[in-house]
Amino acid sequence: MSLTEQDILRYARHIIMPEVGGRGQKRIKAASVLVAGLGAAGSAAALYLAAAGVGRLTLWDPAELTEADLTQAIAHARSSLGQSRAASARGKLLAINPDAAVAASADPDALPDLVAGHQVVVATAGDWEAVQSAVLQAGASAVFAGVQGAAGAALAHRPGTACLGCIPAEERDRAGLRPEGEGCAVAAAGGVVGTVAATEALKLILDIGSPLTDRLWAYDGWTARFRETGVSRRPDCPLCGGD
Amino acid sequence: MMNACFTPEERERLARASVLLIGCGGLGSPVAYELAAAGVGRIGLCDMDEVDLSNLQRQVLHHTADVGRPKVESGREKILALRPGTQVDLHPVTLTSENALELFRQYDLILDGSDNFATRYLVNDACVLTGRPQVHGSIFRFDGQVTTFVPGQGPCYRCIYPTPPPPGSVPSCAEAGVIGVLPGFIGSLMAMEALKLLAGRGTGLTGRLLIYSALDMDVAEVQIRRNPECPVCGDHPTIHELIDYEQFCGGVGA
Repeated sequence: MSLTEQDILRYARHIIMPEVGGRGQKRIKAASVLVAGLGAAGSAAALYLAAAGVGRLTLWDPAELTEADLTQAIAHARSSLGQSRAASARGKLLAINPDAAVAASADPDALPDLVAGHQVVVATAGDWEAVQSAVLQAGASAVFAGVQGAAGAALAHRPGTACLGCIPAEERDRAGLRPEGEGCAVAAAGGVVGTVAATEALKLILDIGSPLTDRLWAYDGWTARFRETGVSRRPDCPLCGGD
Repeated sequence: MMNACFTPEERERLARASVLLIGCGGLGSPVAYELAAAGVGRIGLCDMDEVDLSNLQRQVLHHTADVGRPKVESGREKILALRPGTQVDLHPVTLTSENALELFRQYDLILDGSDNFATRYLVNDACVLTGRPQVHGSIFRFDGQVTTFVPGQGPCYRCIYPTPPPPGSVPSCAEAGVIGVLPGFIGSLMAMEALKLLAGRGTGLTGRLLIYSALDMDVAEVQIRRNPECPVCGDHPTIHELIDYEQFCGGVGA
């Protein structure tokens, strides 16, 4: 995957850094990311991944864009009311970066099958256990992230590290690591957690820095406090069985 | 259009509030969307730049079709596309010692998303002199900082950075690069802090400086204190009006 002259101008601030460079930008361009959920966190993650130059993005969200979404998710516009959130965000992403190949799926049953063929999954909604299983089967990487109210959490996974199932459900719940659902969210907190998810996806693609693998990360917006808990693989994990 | 995360009283406060964004670039982009989404009634955009292709890897307020257009106009369109009732006031000017005080007095809160030291000191002094709270953010390559300065309740920017770095010692964004998602994280934190101040809820960052590393995915917190000797907010201030900040930061005559 080579860079065009336009790419070199557009991504100049990335290419100048040795951690990314021309080689890294090519890796970003060659990467494919599935973003599940275009609510508070997923919207921010998708916008920044498209802006960063991820070559292929698939957006999954079966929900229809509502007025309430416009108060908490920034990848949408009022003119898209009535469309699926996936289709609405697709339009926004293409306006930011027309060079990206962006697909949208609003099929509620499509999610686990969409995982295959993507290098990284950013999961903010849907059935996370099913996503994690599909990620394990495909040998892909994933970032789980979600926001409720003004608090949220994130965890990254790549082959060989603790998976979602290695963390007991109660512990995930206590940390706030949950798929986004019907409840309200503050867009700014979604931005914080969603950009962490996008950052981790890019670090996994570039293989730089210390990823959020084996680390359960949490943010509380009302106090501006961050917390991190170490997690490890469990031999009796119902999803990865420790292997 | 209402967000149930805020109480009716908080939504009312947000609707009556006004925020001035210094810069509609990397930091201003998420802030503009996120303040508008939450229902902040009036948003001022101060930036005299035009959208450049190299901005688009991080400045998600602007679309590819906006290249060459004034950032404030592009920004207004995106805010109104998300929340049409927002009052968006455009200030396509360079912030200077001549216009800053009058401009700041028109807003409840200032959000500094500027990219140079002269503007940071100018924003700081103007906030102290007008009594306006300021949410401050800065980014560099993979790292960033965020805090809140509330006059009379904690330190100001000068308390923690009394003197600017020697000219040329800190490379610019263009020279050093920046990972595109970094201002998204720092700007979103700034927006959350602004919303807390305006809604009157939560514990803010007054006296607390957050230091972020995207490569480590780590946020460290440092306690920061008001300096009684601070020339602008100390017990015996010597700065009573805005000065020449280019000269201050350029070291001319120092």
